[in-house]
Amino acid sequence: MADKKVGKKDIAGLLEQWSQQFAVFAPSKESGVAAMAEWDGKDISFLDWYRNTVVPPKAIFLPPMEELFRFQKGKEGYNIEPPPKDKHKRLIFGVRPCDARAMAILDMTFEQALEDPYYLSRRKSAILVGLGCTNPCESCFCTSMGTSPTDQTNVDLMLIDIGDDFLIEEVTAKGKELIAKTSGLKGATKEDEAKAKQAKETAYNKVTRKLDTEGIKDRLLASFDDEEFWEKTAAKCISCGICTLLCPTCYCFDINDEMVKQEGTRFRSWDSCGFPNYTKMPMENPRQEKWRRVRQKVCHKYEFYPMTFNVIACTGCGRCIRLCPVNWDITQVIESVPARTEAKK
Amino acid sequence: MTVADTNQEFFAQGNVYLPHIAVIEKIVEETPGVRTYHFNFKDEKLRKEFTFQSGQFAQYSVLGTGEATFCISSSPTRRDHLEFAAQRVGKVTNALNRLGVGAEIGFRGPYGNSFPIDSLKDKNLVFVGGGIGLAPLRSLIWNVLDYRDKYKKIDIVYGARTPADLCFKYDLEAWDKDKTVNMVTTVDRGDDGWKGKVGVVPKILEEVAPSAGESVAIVCGPPIMIRFTFPALEKLGFKPEQMLTTLEKRMKCGIGKCGRCNIGNLYVCRDGPVFSYAQIKDFVSSEY
Amino acid sequence: MEQKLRQEAKALLEQNKVDWIIGFEPGSLKFTATPLITRDKNDTERLIINPFIVNNLADFLTGIKGRVGIVAKGCDSRSIISLIQDNKIVREDVVILAVPCPGLIDLVKIERLAGKDRDELDDISRDGDKVTVTVDGQKKEFAINQTLFDHCLACELPTPQEYDILLGEPGPPAPELEVSGQNIAKLKEALPAERWEFWQNEFSRCIRCYACRNACPACFCQRCFVEETEPQWVMPVPRWQDNLIFQIIRNIHVAGRCTDCGECERVCPVNIPLRSLAREMYGIVDELFSFKSGMDKEALPLMAHYEQEEAEDLFK
Ligand SMILES: Cc1cc2nc3c(=O)[nH]c(=O)nc-3n(C[C@H](O)[C@H](O)[C@H](O)COP(=O)(O)OP(=O)(O)OC[C@H]3O[C@@H](n4cnc5c(N)ncnc54)[C@H](O)[C@@H]3O)c2cc1C
Ligand code: SF4
Ligand code: SF4
Ligand code: SF4
Ligand code: SF4
Ligand code: SF4
Ligand code: FES
Repeated sequence: MADKKVGKKDIAGLLEQWSQQFAVFAPSKESGVAAMAEWDGKDISFLDWYRNTVVPPKAIFLPPMEELFRFQKGKEGYNIEPPPKDKHKRLIFGVRPCDARAMAILDMTFEQALEDPYYLSRRKSAILVGLGCTNPCESCFCTSMGTSPTDQTNVDLMLIDIGDDFLIEEVTAKGKELIAKTSGLKGATKEDEAKAKQAKETAYNKVTRKLDTEGIKDRLLASFDDEEFWEKTAAKCISCGICTLLCPTCYCFDINDEMVKQEGTRFRSWDSCGFPNYTKMPMENPRQEKWRRVRQKVCHKYEFYPMTFNVIACTGCGRCIRLCPVNWDITQVIESVPARTEAKK
Repeated sequence: MTVADTNQEFFAQGNVYLPHIAVIEKIVEETPGVRTYHFNFKDEKLRKEFTFQSGQFAQYSVLGTGEATFCISSSPTRRDHLEFAAQRVGKVTNALNRLGVGAEIGFRGPYGNSFPIDSLKDKNLVFVGGGIGLAPLRSLIWNVLDYRDKYKKIDIVYGARTPADLCFKYDLEAWDKDKTVNMVTTVDRGDDGWKGKVGVVPKILEEVAPSAGESVAIVCGPPIMIRFTFPALEKLGFKPEQMLTTLEKRMKCGIGKCGRCNIGNLYVCRDGPVFSYAQIKDFVSSEY
Repeated sequence: MEQKLRQEAKALLEQNKVDWIIGFEPGSLKFTATPLITRDKNDTERLIINPFIVNNLADFLTGIKGRVGIVAKGCDSRSIISLIQDNKIVREDVVILAVPCPGLIDLVKIERLAGKDRDELDDISRDGDKVTVTVDGQKKEFAINQTLFDHCLACELPTPQEYDILLGEPGPPAPELEVSGQNIAKLKEALPAERWEFWQNEFSRCIRCYACRNACPACFCQRCFVEETEPQWVMPVPRWQDNLIFQIIRNIHVAGRCTDCGECERVCPVNIPLRSLAREMYGIVDELFSFKSGMDKEALPLMAHYEQEEAEDLFK
């Protein structure tokens, strides 16, 4: 079946159509901060400015904070009130390939062992419409991390910029079904497909930051106790939560209660292994020192996640590099991990 | 058994994050800082059907204050009620301390793996505990004693800082009386009335010197005790595979999602809390 | 200036006058510098000084053991003085390598002026009062007061007063107080209800990354009130009310310590105009107590001492 295409001018109409069936999310900017937000029904100016969001799309599925449940204390004791069923079906428009891959990585955690009903109910009913990058950032290194600026692997539909139009690649059954029900699309020609191919190559070559991850799992394992290396690596980090909270593959959360009079709420909210209190226990803290926390972050992504799920939990989106207040650069760190033979015990 | 085998029928309202309501039936003051809570579910059906295994833990809530992690300290072989023991150290444990008999608490669980009870059969068992760390061991010890003939020699080495800090004194007495058990109690610092041993657990363990052949050592206590007990056992000839422990890390979700309880690639809640020393020795020196 | 810095820093380490050097080296992205914290004398070769040395390095002093040679702009030096007054560090343990600072270039402003992201720019160069930005081979010129950080436009001490080694000639201070205070002035003109809505909106973006706190040299508490659980002063969830309370209490805690270095606002990943709050508090402290943190090394720490009359007031 031949691919379809949609004119850039017609994107508003397309989103409008999809809005009938879905809660549509698209890139939006507030006070200069780009995030995925519910589409306002008109604005498609993001097509001009959008490179990637500051807040990753994971925030739609694992929000910075959410209510797990509410409870009341009455004469008969406590009553636990489950959260209302999530009825929204969400369509996220403009997901970048790196962030789509990150969603697949997050799925592994939320699906394994016991399923997480909150995350998965949103995730399973959602459609991801990918938008290929034409202008990768200096900090992007997706092509070293198993994806690329136009990779369609982890989305339902993929849009490739071919000038005045986007070529639509139908990736999953869900995506195909949506396209079948969508009107106003044009058929793509051979020429369009050639253009798309060209666009992919161009975009690929624009990602100039490279990272060699060969053998990284073993290098990290061998360097685990190399305190000198980790102290040096951690020296300038200020232990904030930027590189973890805003990393599209980080999922750590905290759980807290709040009660006013006889009514209460249990929340979960983003948390970070960079914070000293994260592992604080009554008698001691296994990660009191900063270098241990930095080590956890690096090892979790590049050693532990691969051990458990066989995939590095970093997609090269570059957010942690762009947003870090001290320019701590994960690619420099990974490159500087000593090779097995050099590692000290 | 892993967390994936958790009986989903025990989820409150089908949601793993929702607690069941349980009622405190009895409170035992163990030491000035530790209390044992006897409790039972409010729900009739769950009360009958709930099962667990020694070594498993649960997330207990004082609703409005928060959740904390405690192992189930009673034995699955004695099912008229459940027990946990909590040491007062912070927010939730202080709030628990303010509760009395009849108060309602939240309960999510049971979570985690358990002691591999089948593989302990026909073995000599060496239990090594410190302080509140006896809680999970106690569940297993009673479990084993209720089927005494399936196991061989049983040694229990238990210690606390002072005689006043010894938990479960009624159990210690019962095991001391039990002729089939070699019970050794020790304290770091004795007092006038103290007639037992004086010395830290790893040292006393070396004195007791249980034989390593056909044996499994089960260790639980404060991290510092655990760190010194493994080398002591190694000296006695125990192999890393023969040493079991249950680890304690800060926990929130209890089901392998929130991230914080990891040791290396293992999550204590998902892959533990029971581990063999062989599994964790790469990380134990620097992460625990 | 850079050459002198490298020589001095190397000498300090070689002669064992310090254990650490804290300065800047080139960053991994365009137009960035990154903190260099080292005890290796060979690393001093990488030290740089340029209009992008944005971090307030005083932040690292409380976390480091030993004697430190530290590169300090005017604002950094004020934070160092303030830390000394609060007994957080000892004067004898720091060697201040003073940089006369002509102001730092705010890339957010440049992006807005050039209509491009920072990594799409070819070059940014400064010549006196002009900044030239090259985009796609084309040069665009901007006046310096359009391109500097707000806090630089309000800088009262471009060259450290307190130092051990001065790297270069002090330049004239160039306060553009009016430009620097535009955001604050606008907020002050707004009706209380509008202002409330404004902050509600801004703080609903806060993700509680605590970068503002952790980058702030004046936030040096071992245990921050946000992390207290008994009692819980604020919920550790990123709800706008709690976020706002966190920031307000933070501002109160750094009153008399904050030197208006602008770091909180610069590091915030979601662009909350935090300096508007900090600067306003700075102004209030000055108005009430005639006190400007880190300006006078003989001054007593504002919040950690009291006058006889104050005590009498308090214990009547
Ligand atoms: C598998 C497992 C089984 C366990 N079994 C038992 C058991 O059977 N019995 C038992 O007593 N315990 C057990 N524990 C330990 C128990 O979970 C903790 O002691 C308990 O969660 C403490 O909860 P809390 O709310 O009272 O303390 P919290 O208030 O959460 O904190 C505990 C301590 O941390 C410190 N702290 C808290 N917040 C901060 C902060 N912001 N900054 C600095 N320090 C801070 C405080 O010093 C406080 O004393 C077990 C743990 C695990 C993981
Ligand atoms: S990392 Fe790759 S996929 Fe992600 S925004 Fe950059 S170029 Fe696009
Ligand atoms: S963003 Fe930078 S400073 Fe903050 S925790 Fe990450 S590496 Fe450290
Ligand atoms: S442990 Fe750290 S690196 Fe891993 S997911 Fe959690 S916050 Fe991210
Ligand atoms: S570690 Fe950094 S580059 Fe990798 S996915 Fe996370 S934010 Fe992106
Ligand atoms: S830096 Fe910004 S987002 Fe982070 S805690 Fe401070 S105000 Fe909130
Ligand atoms: S407690 Fe959440 S992952 Fe283990």
